[in-house]
Amino acid sequence: MATDQGIREGEPKTLLEMVLARFGVDALGTHAAKKPRGGMWNRVYMAELIPNVLLVIFGTVVMWSASLTIPEASFPRHLAGIFLGLVFAIVVWRYDYSVFADKSMFLLALDVVLMLMPSIPGLGYNAMGMTGWVQIPLTGFRFQPSEIAKPVTVLLMASLTASFNGKIENIRDYLRLCGILCIPFVLILTQPDLGTGLIVLVLGASIIVCGGAKGSWVLITIGIIVVGAFAVVASSMTEGMPHILKQYQLNRLIVFVDPSVDPSGNGYNLQQAKIAVGSGGLLGKGIGHASQAGAGFLPEAHTDFVFALLAEEFGFLGSVVLLGLFGWMILATVGLALRVESPFAKLVCVGIASMWAFQLMQNVGMCIGIMPITGIPLPFISFGSSSMLAQLASAGLVQSVWLHRSKPA
Amino acid sequence: MTLTTLIILLLVILVIALVGLYVFYNRDDKRFTLDIGGAAPRAAGGNDVSAEHTVRNRLLGLGLVCAGVVGGLMARLWSMQLLAASDYAEQAESNRTRTISLAAPRGRMLDRYGNEIVGNRPSLTVVAKPEVAEESIKVQLLANLIGMPAAAVRRRIQDQSSGAQSDRLVASDVSRRVVAFIGEHPYLFEGVAVEERSVRSYPYGSLAAHVVGYTGPVTTEQLKESEQSSDENAIVYEAGDTVGQAGLELQYENALQGIRGEQNVHVDANGSVLEYATSVEPQAGSDIILTLDVELQQAAEDSLKRVTNAISTTLKCNCISGSALVMDVTNGEILAMASAPTYSPNVFVGGISNDDWQSLQSEKSANPLVNRAVSGLYPSASTIKPIMTFAALDNNIATKDSKYYCAGWWTGFGEASGMYCWEHSGHREMNLVSGISYSCDVVFYEIGKGFYESDDPEAMQAKLREWGLGKKTEIDLPGEAEGRVPDAEWKWNYYTQADDADRQWKGGDFANLAIGQGDLLVTPIQMACAYMGIANDGKVWRPHVLRSVQSSTGKGSVVEYEPQLLRELEEPSDYCDLVRKGMIGAVYEESVYIATQFESLPVEVAAKSGTAERNGHNPTAWYLAYAPANDPKYVVAANIEEATWASSSALYVVRDLLGAIYDAPNEIKLYISPVDAGG
Repeated sequence: MATDQGIREGEPKTLLEMVLARFGVDALGTHAAKKPRGGMWNRVYMAELIPNVLLVIFGTVVMWSASLTIPEASFPRHLAGIFLGLVFAIVVWRYDYSVFADKSMFLLALDVVLMLMPSIPGLGYNAMGMTGWVQIPLTGFRFQPSEIAKPVTVLLMASLTASFNGKIENIRDYLRLCGILCIPFVLILTQPDLGTGLIVLVLGASIIVCGGAKGSWVLITIGIIVVGAFAVVASSMTEGMPHILKQYQLNRLIVFVDPSVDPSGNGYNLQQAKIAVGSGGLLGKGIGHASQAGAGFLPEAHTDFVFALLAEEFGFLGSVVLLGLFGWMILATVGLALRVESPFAKLVCVGIASMWAFQLMQNVGMCIGIMPITGIPLPFISFGSSSMLAQLASAGLVQSVWLHRSKPA
Repeated sequence: MTLTTLIILLLVILVIALVGLYVFYNRDDKRFTLDIGGAAPRAAGGNDVSAEHTVRNRLLGLGLVCAGVVGGLMARLWSMQLLAASDYAEQAESNRTRTISLAAPRGRMLDRYGNEIVGNRPSLTVVAKPEVAEESIKVQLLANLIGMPAAAVRRRIQDQSSGAQSDRLVASDVSRRVVAFIGEHPYLFEGVAVEERSVRSYPYGSLAAHVVGYTGPVTTEQLKESEQSSDENAIVYEAGDTVGQAGLELQYENALQGIRGEQNVHVDANGSVLEYATSVEPQAGSDIILTLDVELQQAAEDSLKRVTNAISTTLKCNCISGSALVMDVTNGEILAMASAPTYSPNVFVGGISNDDWQSLQSEKSANPLVNRAVSGLYPSASTIKPIMTFAALDNNIATKDSKYYCAGWWTGFGEASGMYCWEHSGHREMNLVSGISYSCDVVFYEIGKGFYESDDPEAMQAKLREWGLGKKTEIDLPGEAEGRVPDAEWKWNYYTQADDADRQWKGGDFANLAIGQGDLLVTPIQMACAYMGIANDGKVWRPHVLRSVQSSTGKGSVVEYEPQLLRELEEPSDYCDLVRKGMIGAVYEESVYIATQFESLPVEVAAKSGTAERNGHNPTAWYLAYAPANDPKYVVAANIEEATWASSSALYVVRDLLGAIYDAPNEIKLYISPVDAGG
């Protein structure tokens, strides 16, 4: 059914493309097929790879500067995370992603195991009020299974949704998809890790929506979620009603609207992050000259608030470069989704692109006061090997889609 | 501005290009085919393309949402990092910048020859935040380290005298070992710091302590006052500042206090200093040159101590208090001013402890902080007689040739209210000159009676006031007492509990006042000024301790003290000669014993003694002298509380001081005669 030539051929059309083409780079991913098959340029998806590599390099520079003043930001560990992630990504890239297309039960089981791992006595490790970490026995290493669970959930939801071939016509099918999505979501909330839960929810929802769910159902579902969320927040804020959200979660939600509710905690963090971003100005203060991050005013400058550190050191230009690279990478991934034939491949790309987009929006938005404060890392930049590993594996998955694009799933 | 516009333009182009490329390059992708389940696929000739379209549109929608996210974030960043950048930069700067005020060293105090009486020295001081008092382990640790009882450490940290919020002084002048230990264990001593402060040093110890005074942390009232002051040049204090609290430290606070410097530092989130930024150097206060002569001052203090010790030992009494002063009659300069008992101004360095303060205030210690030379109030006793002589002559109560007869017992107001002369055996034939020389009470009882019977009886008090009694001398020292010249109105209002008859001013009051007893109260400086008038033909210079103010750079003086005439009494010169003759007689005629004391001096001395009786106490002894008698230069005054006859006590102090001035020490051994032995 599918042709073995999954991608349209064509000549470079714009100046940018012609320039890039001279260096053998098919930066926008539109002319790859022109290259002889089996060549390097045919095997990797440049449009995603270039911004991705640049982001990792950018993140390395930022983490190096953070390591100058923040003792917890161990630069070698960051490099080790990248190395491990690269190995993982290459394995995923070489591996044919499409074998997962009909393994939804296995994926679901894997997802559940990952979510439950931290709760297993002797394995779980408590940090920052969450039981989200797992201690690898006999070693000092810890990792966060919920990070790994994100690409697994992408595969799971994509395999389930792809089976409907772009048209979910039965409400029971739609509800079943939503119900399965709720399994990892609810499990993650018990850790409790609202941030990762939201990511899972958003990427799953994107897959269902792009997988052909009826518009009206989607709107109704969104409506129910909004009303439900509102009810949860309202009841948590009201005396005598069940407090589903913990006080610190509630504070994080409210604080970005009214920083005065928690002036010493989250309000302070938010204020310091905004000062860091704003004081960066056009060109930034330069590497190692970030007074907000370097002198400890900015909390979690190497993890959750890493964007504020970046914006302070590299200014508006640095921020634009970062956002531009992310935009390029995300749109290239969506572009790949448009071009590949296999519905499973499409939805894998959709899940990964929406995961990146949501994490970007949430992490950057929180630093500039337009999103509530959550502990969501900035992909490829934030300190943390689990996140780096999961994100590079996700990128590997996109590359795998490209490499195996001629095979229908 | 142009740069910003350019960037906005580039941004917009970038976003449009991204979205444009994405939409454009995928628009004509027609190869999209799907297995669409039961419906016939288009590739197989079917025409159901709805699923294809749905997915395609949704993917395009996702792409647009993602581009929108990036665009929205950029817009917000543009407004924060470009439009509001300077606001945030300011906040970041104020976040990390702290201003530490640098205390300026106070000006020094030098004697007239440039000897440093009060200076400054650096002191390593341990201070603690008020909260530390609640951490018993830390307090115990600190106490062990410094070598103080833990309770004392806690009390000092709880002491609020330097302001509720400011750091509390734990110990001054700690050793380098203590400093090193605290520096090496910052985690053990959170809230504890070591500061190098400039504190007062006293090279001569407690010398002139009453004149120079002491410093202390600014009080709440002083803070409030400095805040409300309308004077632009006034110093604005901060809590914890060290300011003058007594003596010249207080009097010349404005000159001595330097101008605070400021040091801007960059700190981290914990407040630790990362680096030093700009600073404004503190400006030291101005040095002041005093009129004091340290050698003479030392002599005054030594002599007071020697004589009071001798009295205490001989008479088995507690004689510790008194004062002595030397003044230049030609300009009012105070060359020496001593008050006993004294104190060490060192205990005030870095803030006095409560215990020390309590002990300095206690009854037992006889108020060592009081400068008796300007604040002590005593009946003048016979030292008033020379002034009384002027009063009698000026008011025609007596003439130069008046004759009196002293039988030792005077009955001018009737036998029932008869009064003794101090010489119970009587002085026989007396006139005004011998009346002063022999201090004959009867002569002055007669003068008192004369006023009582005259048309204007209160002319006596008027004359005393004219001579400066009952009012301040305006010496440049704080806390000067006014004294009291009693009169009929005062007596009526003062003794409100007594019978009306006893409240009346009577002849006996005049008689008492005429010999300086009764309700008269004077200060030593008042009497010294009055004697300056006698020595100077009526000219009284305002007494002063300040000679000049040096500029803080050390080059030249900013303010030279110009002698000011306090009053000029118009006494006929023959009256003056008469009084002075009487005072010379008091030294060389009245008793051989006294004359012998002054024999070894190279100059002639004129003097007057006084022994003020106090019920239930030993008398207060006075001795005032000026020298040389023919061309007066110095007036020397001394008084001793709980003493004995003046000629057996205060006289020795005056003699010691004249000996120090003229380099002719008294070689005669002290002889202390008790009051009841006569003499």
